Amino acid sequence: MIALGQTIIFGILIGGVYALMATGLTLTFGVMKIVNMAQGAFLIVSTYLCYALWQQFGIDPIVAALLVMFPMAVIGLVVYKLVIERLERIDPGLTIVATFALALIAEAFLALAWGPNQKTTTPAYFNQAMHLGPLVIPRAQFYACLLAIVITAVLQVAIKRTWLGHAITAASENPEGARLIGIEPARIGAWIFAIATGSTAFGGAALSFLYQFTPDTQDFWLGVTLSVVIVGGLGSIPGAFAAGVLLGVAESLTTTYVSVRWATAVPTLLILVVLTIRPQGLFTRTTRQDAGS
Amino acid sequence: MTSSPLTRATLLRRAWIPIAVAALICYPLVSSDLYYQNMLIVTFMLAIGASGWNIMGGYAGYISLGNSAFIGLGAYTTGILAVRESISPFLGCLVGGLVCAIGAALLSLVTRRTRGMYFVIVTFATLQLLGVVATTWSGLTGGSQGLALPLPTWSLSYQNWPFYYPMLGLLVGTIAVSAWVRRSKLGLGLFAIQDDEDKAAGLGLQTTVYKMIAFVLGGTFVGIAGGIYAYYVTFLNTAAVFDIVTSVLIVLAVLLGGRGTLWGPVLGAFIVAPISNVTSTGLGGADSGAIRLLLFGGLLGAVAIFLPRGVLPVVESWFRRLLARGPGRTSTNADPDLSTTAASVSDVGNGSVDGADPSDVLVVRGVRKSFGGLRAVDGVDLNLAGARITGLIGPNGSGKTTLFNVIDGTVPTRDGTITLGGRRLDRTGRPARAHAGLARTYQLPRLFANLTVVENIVAPERRFAFGRLWTKRVTAAERERAMGVLDDLGLAAYADGSPANLSYGQRKLVELAQVLWLDPVLVMLDEPAAGISPALSERLADMVRSLRRRGVGILLVEHDLAFIAGLCERVYVMSRGAIIAHGSVADISAEHAVVDAYLGDSVVPVPAEGKT
Repeated sequence: MIALGQTIIFGILIGGVYALMATGLTLTFGVMKIVNMAQGAFLIVSTYLCYALWQQFGIDPIVAALLVMFPMAVIGLVVYKLVIERLERIDPGLTIVATFALALIAEAFLALAWGPNQKTTTPAYFNQAMHLGPLVIPRAQFYACLLAIVITAVLQVAIKRTWLGHAITAASENPEGARLIGIEPARIGAWIFAIATGSTAFGGAALSFLYQFTPDTQDFWLGVTLSVVIVGGLGSIPGAFAAGVLLGVAESLTTTYVSVRWATAVPTLLILVVLTIRPQGLFTRTTRQDAGS
Repeated sequence: MTSSPLTRATLLRRAWIPIAVAALICYPLVSSDLYYQNMLIVTFMLAIGASGWNIMGGYAGYISLGNSAFIGLGAYTTGILAVRESISPFLGCLVGGLVCAIGAALLSLVTRRTRGMYFVIVTFATLQLLGVVATTWSGLTGGSQGLALPLPTWSLSYQNWPFYYPMLGLLVGTIAVSAWVRRSKLGLGLFAIQDDEDKAAGLGLQTTVYKMIAFVLGGTFVGIAGGIYAYYVTFLNTAAVFDIVTSVLIVLAVLLGGRGTLWGPVLGAFIVAPISNVTSTGLGGADSGAIRLLLFGGLLGAVAIFLPRGVLPVVESWFRRLLARGPGRTSTNADPDLSTTAASVSDVGNGSVDGADPSDVLVVRGVRKSFGGLRAVDGVDLNLAGARITGLIGPNGSGKTTLFNVIDGTVPTRDGTITLGGRRLDRTGRPARAHAGLARTYQLPRLFANLTVVENIVAPERRFAFGRLWTKRVTAAERERAMGVLDDLGLAAYADGSPANLSYGQRKLVELAQVLWLDPVLVMLDEPAAGISPALSERLADMVRSLRRRGVGILLVEHDLAFIAGLCERVYVMSRGAIIAHGSVADISAEHAVVDAYLGDSVVPVPAEGKT
């Protein structure tokens, strides 16, 4: 019974981190209907940047994320202006191909800069744990989950309360209508993309002290983040959080009761199952899809 | 349309094919250079993969990033059968192809309810999942240790022929199938799906079956190739076999050569595979993997951004422009005078219903549809008779188009019943509703841009039959009938051009002719007269009347009340998702509620003269 409780606690903590990693994809996929196949790569680039700051200057990865956020947002803006904006007009399918090409390029650069060996950051809270009765709560996971809650809350408030947030909602629900009231979806798109890639800094920071990473893990993390977004339902931040927890608990249970190796199959398996049974995601209501036709 | 230089070009191109095949057949006989034999074998495999990918990705527009999964499935099936059951890899690879076919069919079930971008995710996830399964299920696959196949037993003097020739034969087979798909009704349907899948389903095309066949064809050949390749390399390891970079090479070859063309993927493979081969043998050191990744990622990105159409279409359009400068060019700009052409499309369909049939064709009961909290359609009842023209009016946002979408199945609903000619339709999909005799046009005409005007007209499918898929895109009989229809519309000159050459009004006429090809019992017209000239609108009215004479029921949404008054026997008025009035045009004009709905309830209606 304690083992089960422990497993579920691990699952919930990791689930929060998954949601955090997927926030960028939640925004681009949900709002712009763009499948950014470079999400995993952006995440790993952030991880390496946090790693570099931690290694060079001893900056805590979570603090480093506050710095890494800016260059990542700039990268997102550049990618949007040079690639996405252009290709979305010709053929959205090409956007998917091009962003995947970007992921490979990013992976190659990381491998050239840092080599193929496994790395990890080890801040003070690394490998420490708190005890709650018989249950163990690892500090690193706990902080990462707190970070996830804070970032998600900030983004949620930003979307519900600010003008940009309202503009984003408007542009995503009805691009034509948004254009009529002076919101240019393309300009909003650039903002969302910048915010989305900027937010990978936090997911990347959490990744840097929770996992060992190499450049070629980017496509694994792409699978995980896609899974969160598909299971949660497009564009819903609370949905992504619920999906992250579901994924985390499922993985954690598989690790405890089946084997660690099968746990890596959980994210992709969930994608296939959910798209078969409930393609709109487990945590969304149906909305009108035929507007404009 | 085909002028003589073009036919000569076609002949020349036809001659190239046997020459190229003969050269490839002779090559290993005259040269014993194993390096180039190896390079060609790898090139053939990539060309098979690319041509197969192109059937789904190029014709139907469904991009996959997971097609190397088929190579892996084929390779491992062959390998496992060879190691455990001692089955010859040349038989095993056929089983591998079968496994891939089944796998592809299952995967297309996963994507049955989802569209474009999800397909990429599904294929990507499948590749990753299979990689994990192959690594973890080590009892079967040897896991990360790898799987060694038995070594070939034939004499070394045969060089690589036993791999070279089957691979070449498979490539010829793949291209032949791809060519044949392009020219058949299957290809017509796939290109229609790429343009507008919803519309294609509304015209009765079983889009799910089309996509499934396309994906299965694409996966089977590359699966067999994967099996042969497994024997060729004699050693499989999961990381290499399920490598996503192989998928990337396939996509790169297709995009570079020209997506959706027949020869583009082959051309692309003959460019990409040698580059890949040279870099994998020529590069050494710890960074070689990263450099290859950089190279192919960069190439893929560059092609997607700077050459999205691919080499072949670009070269072809240069070539065509060069030819067009010659004297043989015929003018296609002759604009036929629409108002003088004959006013009936009675040739369309061979409607068996003669004269009036007053019993109800379409019965709608208690249909509801909500989007979130918004009740777009709220308990609508309709009775539509055959051989009657019924109008549906209401202010913008009152739910008319949503009601159309619910009736034709674009938007599913669980509440209410829809019966057409005594058949319940509310649980069936769109193609089945079209087969039952339901047709609709759109407010903005939606023609397939990838198809010619004639192909657009004959695209609808009255009932599904596998045999039909393999027939020519447009049979001689269909062409004759379609040309008759186009003649009546005064559009015969545009028959073999793209619908993009037509004006807005002409596209509306062609779309109407297209849906009539279904031989419907009920036609729903969404604002047919909006935005077209008075002359054309009069022609449309004539077409609608001639349909009624043939016993077809018509439901039309329109804001032009004069148009409605001139045509409709009966009018339904919708407001806020509900029917608020129905009756003759005169009854409706007198109704208080109708005036309220249109003008707001504070307006005091001016008493209509002569009607009180």
